[in-house]
Amino acid sequence: MKKIAYLFVQVVMVAGVLAFTLSASGHPDEQAAPIYGVTIPAGYRDWKLISVARVGAPLNDLRAKLGNDIAIKAYRDRKVPFPDGTIIARLAWKQVTSEENNNAIRLRSGIETHLTPAQVEKLLSESFVAGPPTNVQFMVKDSTKFASTGGWGFAQFNDGKPADEATHRTCFSCHEPAKDRDFVFTRYAP
Amino acid sequence: MKRMVFVLIVVAIAAGVIAYTPFRSVHADEEASPIYGVKIPPGYRDWQLIAVKQLHFAGMGEQLRAQVGNDIAIKAFKEGTRPFPDGAIIAAMHWTRVPSEDNDEVLDDAFPGTHSFVIGSPVNVQFMVKDSKKYAATGGWGFADFKDGKPGDKALHETCFPCHRPAKDRDFVFTNYAPAP
Repeated sequence: MKKIAYLFVQVVMVAGVLAFTLSASGHPDEQAAPIYGVTIPAGYRDWKLISVARVGAPLNDLRAKLGNDIAIKAYRDRKVPFPDGTIIARLAWKQVTSEENNNAIRLRSGIETHLTPAQVEKLLSESFVAGPPTNVQFMVKDSTKFASTGGWGFAQFNDGKPADEATHRTCFSCHEPAKDRDFVFTRYAP
Repeated sequence: MKRMVFVLIVVAIAAGVIAYTPFRSVHADEEASPIYGVKIPPGYRDWQLIAVKQLHFAGMGEQLRAQVGNDIAIKAFKEGTRPFPDGAIIAAMHWTRVPSEDNDEVLDDAFPGTHSFVIGSPVNVQFMVKDSKKYAATGGWGFADFKDGKPGDKALHETCFPCHRPAKDRDFVFTNYAPAP
């Protein structure tokens, strides 16, 4: 009986470890980005917020920049260049209108500002929420490995799949104008 | 010698506590929001991201917004738990939206004529704090709106709950969790 109980505990433990391993590697079949070999860092969606942004047509998206702990610390300490191990993630979602939210704003605008319904509608035409995700990009700092591109490795994933080599060829040249800020455009939002 | 080491350790610990204390109580003289008595929760800027928004608010121009949540809120968002459990806090950070010429120049090669925007300066921060007993009359939520660390007036806080009422079937929370791209 004791032996069975022991066996049972072992089976449960193995199952637990297996379940944990599977959930930790959310993208088990994940590929690395061309040129730089960067893969999707585990748990990046839970990283802390650096800032938010929006890009108009034709992209029409809303964006959030998140950073791992090394990145966030460097931002706060205004440490440039960023230390090795820094990872910055840029998440983007298609911007969409939210009728649910707009109805609430209609109510509030009417109470607070006595705007005409037409004026309120004009304002709401510029109000958006994050809709379906579009893609995610990463900048990974490794001053030795990525010495020829300012110490940064770049990656873009669409739906978990890395974008093609041509896309990745554009990363560094686009970031070059921000050379005096270690090739990073985004500033920390107060 | 042993005693000296002990004294040193005590001094080091005391120094640590003193250094840590002012950091934690940055808002020691902070006021609470009217009606609800909600204060700025320490460390909210480091909470995890729920979603982002752009809003053109009457008389306030365009804003870029981010909603973040404490651990209880994030867990409830991820698991779809409604109503949110007591202890959940959602913070909405609002910034002015300004055009970014830096970004436009870069984007112009790939996407000619694209206009991009980044945050300007902070406008305000709002909190929703779940306490189903304390705030039973307002759907279990306490509300707060702070500008520059100071709470808005009572009239402003009277508008919080009526505005959130349309989202009653989502426990009065408008924001949905933005999935990982």
